[in-house]
Amino acid sequence: MEKKMALIVDDSSLARMMVRKFFADGFKDWDLLEAKDGEDALAKAQGQSLHLALIDFNMPGMNGIDLAEKLLEKQPGLAIHLVTANIQERMQLRAEAIGIGFIKKPINQEKITAAMQGVAG
Amino acid sequence: MHGERKKMFRLSELEEDALKEFFNMGLGMAADSLSQMVQNEVLLTLPKLKVVPYEEATHMLMDSQEEKLVAVRQNFKGELTGTALLIFPGNESLELVRTLLHEDIPLEVLTELEQETLLDVGNVILNAFLESFTQMMSVEFEFESAEFLKGSSRFLLDISSHLAAQKQSLMEGANEDDERAFVLMMDFKTSDEEDTQHTLSGFVVLLFSQQAMYILKRELEVILSNL
Repeated sequence: MEKKMALIVDDSSLARMMVRKFFADGFKDWDLLEAKDGEDALAKAQGQSLHLALIDFNMPGMNGIDLAEKLLEKQPGLAIHLVTANIQERMQLRAEAIGIGFIKKPINQEKITAAMQGVAG
Repeated sequence: MHGERKKMFRLSELEEDALKEFFNMGLGMAADSLSQMVQNEVLLTLPKLKVVPYEEATHMLMDSQEEKLVAVRQNFKGELTGTALLIFPGNESLELVRTLLHEDIPLEVLTELEQETLLDVGNVILNAFLESFTQMMSVEFEFESAEFLKGSSRFLLDISSHLAAQKQSLMEGANEDDERAFVLMMDFKTSDEEDTQHTLSGFVVLLFSQQAMYILKRELEVILSNL
């Protein structure tokens, strides 16, 4: 079976490690691309066909919403979820407004499973 | 013993990163509570974390803030003992009260309501902040009643004041010089595009006893070893 590709963007190593562990435990048919900020993410996503992107909001440089918009320009229809500790309603509305999902930190297996419902193919 | 411990205490880069992420989640929850109270979005900065002696913590606050500060202090004790401070520059605190009460109130009345209102706000914010720790770590602690403080950064961080509240929990024979603090500074401000006068900013500082720092380090080691 062909592997799917997820992009994980978070400036926290812990946050990336947690996501990595959940994928390793439960979603072995996925490959992960990890990036520590928006610029890094755009560079690593270049030329890749992504199935899912999990993106932190509050990062040095570009924020998660701006990054999501750039990724959607490159790959319309990509399933993107903002994964953030900033759980305010306005943040959720901002994510909704650009058509991406919203996941409250801390992330867990169930939240990742739910995020995968919107993944094409 | 303490000299040895002091030299040995150091968070690895990964532990520091993990702690910042926990604080980040804590302030995220706290900001959500504040946002509901002021009916406005609360903008958060990236957390800055430093482990420094109390004296240096005082300087850090003085460098970035004016002398007149208002704070709500929440001591907590148990497996994790320390002090959380929610600090506003003096003039900002009245603005917060005004924002919370949603109406124009004469200054003298506002000043009367300041203490009571800020204690309520501080209690909600700091509890949300600290409770996020219990979600991630297997530590238990209890909150004491929140206190309202007004004064300079030196006064707010005054070690003797904190020690008075936590005397029993601190390590026996520890000197003031041995005591170090986790200083977490995360700025936050409310945005109000329609009325820029009604914005306020503040920050959260956490002080832990040396003993608490070792407990935190142990917890971090356990969490990271499972990843």
